[in-house]
Amino acid sequence: MAAAAPTASSLLPLELIDKCVGSKIWVVMKGDKEFSGTLLGFDDYVNMVLEDVTEFDYSGNHTKLAKILLNGNNICMLIPGGEGPVAAS
Amino acid sequence: MSEGEEGPASEPLDLVRLCLNEEVYVKLRGDRELKGRLHAYDSHMNLVLSDVEETIYVVDDEENDEGDEKIRVEDDQEIKSVTKKSEMLFVRGDSVVLVSPIEKS
Amino acid sequence: MENGTASQGEGRDPSGFLAEIIGNPVTVKLNSGVVYKGELQSVDGYMNIALEKTEEYVDGVKRRTYGDAFVRGNNVMYISADS
Repeated sequence: MAAAAPTASSLLPLELIDKCVGSKIWVVMKGDKEFSGTLLGFDDYVNMVLEDVTEFDYSGNHTKLAKILLNGNNICMLIPGGEGPVAAS
Repeated sequence: MSEGEEGPASEPLDLVRLCLNEEVYVKLRGDRELKGRLHAYDSHMNLVLSDVEETIYVVDDEENDEGDEKIRVEDDQEIKSVTKKSEMLFVRGDSVVLVSPIEKS
Repeated sequence: MENGTASQGEGRDPSGFLAEIIGNPVTVKLNSGVVYKGELQSVDGYMNIALEKTEEYVDGVKRRTYGDAFVRGNNVMYISADS
C-alpha cells in the first residue's frame, strides 16, 4: 500500500478552488492579463464566474466589471484571497 | 435545447446554419477577413465559401510578395489592405474568429 | 465536492450564470483584445457565442456593427454581463 499521497492532509486542486467560492480570488492568465474578484462558481474546466471584478492590463490599466464568465482555457494560476497585483506590490 | 423552443438560434451554430447559401462576412485570425457565399460548415467552423473576396490588413509595405491577382492599397490611417478573389475556398475552423450574415440592402 | 449542489442556483456556476444572462446586453472580450458588445442570443459548451445587434471595438474604438454575429469559442476570454 504505497499510497501516493499523505491521505489526511492532501487537498485536490479543485477542492482548494471550491473552498474559495464566495471569497476574493486573484486569477493570473497565461498572457499578461490578471483578474481579481469574488468567486461565485466554476466548472470542471475551471471556467469561473466572478463578481466585482477588476481586470488588470499589461499596461497597468484597471477595468471594473460587475460579473463575468471567465474562460478557463487561458488561466495560469489562481491565488485564493488575492486582491490582484496592486495589493501584492 | 432544454427549453424545446422552435425559435431560430437556440444555440450559436444555428446562427451559422441560417447563413447557408447566403453572403457572409468571416473574420479570421491574423487580421484577415473574407466575404463570400457560405456553402458548408461543420462543428469545427471549417467553412466552404464561394465567390470570395479575401482582405488582408498589413502593417506597412511588403505587400508586393502577395501580389498575384488583385492588389488594392488603401491609405486610411497607415493601415493598408490587400484583396484577393477566389472562386471557391475552404477555411480551416481554428482560424475563424467571427461569422456574420451580410445584410442585404 | 462535498456540498457542490449548494452552490447551484441563479448565476452561481458558469451554466447558471449563462442561463441568467441570455437575452441581455453583454460584453465579450477576445484574447486578441477585440471587444464585442451585443445582446446574448446563445452560448454552447465550447463557449461559441451568438450575439445580436453587435458592435465591434478595437483598442476601444468602434470598428463595425453586425446584425447577428457568431463568435468561435476558442477566441473568447470572458463574457461580462453589462450592468
